[in-house]
Amino acid sequence: MTRPTAGESIIVTSLPMIAVIWIAAFFVFPGFLPPLSPRAPSNEIATFYREHAARVRYSMVLLNWFSVALIPLLMVIVERMRAMAHRTPVLRYCTLGVAAAAPIVFLTATVFWLLAAFRPDRAPDLTQLFNDLAWITFTCGVPFLVAQCLFLAGAVYLDQQARPVFPRWVAHFNLLVAAALIPAAFAGLTKTGAFAWDGVVSFWVKNAAIAIWIVVMAVVVGRTKPAGAEATA
Amino acid sequence: MRRPTWLDSPKRELWLAWGATVGFYNLYAVVFFLITRTQPPGQPSYGDAGVVSWFASHHDGLLVGMAFIFALGGLSSTSLALITYSIRRMSVSRAYAYAYLLVYAVAAIPGFLFICVAMTAGAMRPDRSPELQRWLYDLGFLSFSGTMGVFLIGSLVWMTAILLDKNRVFPKWFGYLNLCNALTEVVVAPAWFFDRGAFAWNGLVAWWINVFVFGIYTGVFITLLRSMIRREDFGTGPLPDLPPRKPRRSPENAVATAAS
Amino acid sequence: MWFFVLFESMIFTAYFGVYLYHRGQHETAFLAAQSHLDLGLGVLDTIALLASSWAVARSVQAARSGRYDAARRDALLTAGFGGVFAVLKVVEWVHQVHAGNTFTSQEFFQFYFFLTAIHFIHLLIGFVVIGVLVRQLSGVERRNQETVETCATYWHTVDFLWVLIFALVYVVR
Repeated sequence: MTRPTAGESIIVTSLPMIAVIWIAAFFVFPGFLPPLSPRAPSNEIATFYREHAARVRYSMVLLNWFSVALIPLLMVIVERMRAMAHRTPVLRYCTLGVAAAAPIVFLTATVFWLLAAFRPDRAPDLTQLFNDLAWITFTCGVPFLVAQCLFLAGAVYLDQQARPVFPRWVAHFNLLVAAALIPAAFAGLTKTGAFAWDGVVSFWVKNAAIAIWIVVMAVVVGRTKPAGAEATA
Repeated sequence: MRRPTWLDSPKRELWLAWGATVGFYNLYAVVFFLITRTQPPGQPSYGDAGVVSWFASHHDGLLVGMAFIFALGGLSSTSLALITYSIRRMSVSRAYAYAYLLVYAVAAIPGFLFICVAMTAGAMRPDRSPELQRWLYDLGFLSFSGTMGVFLIGSLVWMTAILLDKNRVFPKWFGYLNLCNALTEVVVAPAWFFDRGAFAWNGLVAWWINVFVFGIYTGVFITLLRSMIRREDFGTGPLPDLPPRKPRRSPENAVATAAS
Repeated sequence: MWFFVLFESMIFTAYFGVYLYHRGQHETAFLAAQSHLDLGLGVLDTIALLASSWAVARSVQAARSGRYDAARRDALLTAGFGGVFAVLKVVEWVHQVHAGNTFTSQEFFQFYFFLTAIHFIHLLIGFVVIGVLVRQLSGVERRNQETVETCATYWHTVDFLWVLIFALVYVVR
């Protein structure tokens, strides 16, 4: 029972192009290096958006457009899950249930950032509100990514066959990424230190974890071919 | 190290998902009713000052509770995966199963994401202008309570599948309970029109009766999913009855207790 | 199906309880607002729905004795009476809205529009149910007495709930 895998390699090899766009947008957005502080008073936030409106717009329009670009990779992973030694498709359904939600969260955050930059001469309090909503959505909005890692880890652990679809370490790796993402959910509790939305844990660890997850999973998917598909490239 | 026996059961994925479902609904109830105390909801009739003092008295609970949902809310997907599986086990088109999966995948956004973001933003900056705090308060409660369309359509999809099913996956009365649930989701819509009275977002009709019915519905479907998993024979025909109770624990029951 | 009737009656009992509680709080205002309702129209509504219930009961009896053509005709008649009720209801709503009595104008009309609208949704589902009934009766291989009776029970519930709403909202003074 082999299913066609034609075209999967296109999805995997197109990822570097998408990565270029994401990385470029990350550096163009002036609020990431260093991340905007949650302690900044509203005047400072308003000035920031007045001075950097153009860069905020260019970067966030890019991120907004490409926020769903990861879904094809996720669907390749879901297809690979079919070949796992599971009795039921429940874990695939779990993954499908969260696959679209994570990009929507990210898309919501970019919309708030774009709104903040659209009329930078409005009252500073309002700009600060949009800025807060954007950062909270972006930083704390990890529930679907966490769940995705947990489902994938569970799926790999339960894939007990002579030639598992993914090697066992992929499960450990996904648990590790989930653990790295969870502290960001608590960013609302403090405005200072490592857990604040501009802190080491909530910003750098969380976003690095997401980036590493994408790279590692793309490589894993690219290298492991489903059984019976050796002939296809 | 000896592997627990349930790990070798063919139903292990189902039991894992079921356990996560129970865990998620317990977390959800504890966060919204006890930690954040956003259920029962705050008064919609509060003025600016009322909202500011509401945020002040709920400050810690809001931040801690919403953070738990931000961390683990994605586990809600396990219940809809199980329900999708239950529809797939029925003698109806898979379209019903996929429709349910996608409708409820959308549900997470109005179901908890917006209220979490709005309440966190409000609690994080209590010195924000009261007018804006009030806007966040409205955003939180209205996005949470006033957007039940996905639950209406989702319940109707599940109901139709159950009523048409010939594989006896669920009892027919549960199909009708889906209809009752769908019809009480409708009554929340007036929350957009009133800030006091029976139809406001904390009113007797729009909140109490609705939550009462939803609570019964949730408890019932979690129990019925459990018995579906116990009856599952991985065939395509009618599901067999529950195995009769035995005085000694059979391996099947051991599986159930290990996962619950 | 009887589970549905029971549970739905429970929910409506709760709605009626809330209505009567609020009515008790502001009795004069409720009575004044209630006088805007056209009792005659309400009676017509009730007659239309009772007639539809009678038609669906005849349909069940005909199906029991195997006269499926008559049963089908009576099922269509049921939908016809239901349609008359729906038209009357919409006419009544339009009339009230033109008179300035809207969902948000006063407390009595909140309950009036809420109860009649939630009942209307039940009625719309009822048309789907009658559609199922007609389809059942049309195909030889599809005829199933249990389904026929279930559809009829649903329709009777819609009628029964209306009678309660009529009594509480229109008649009780």
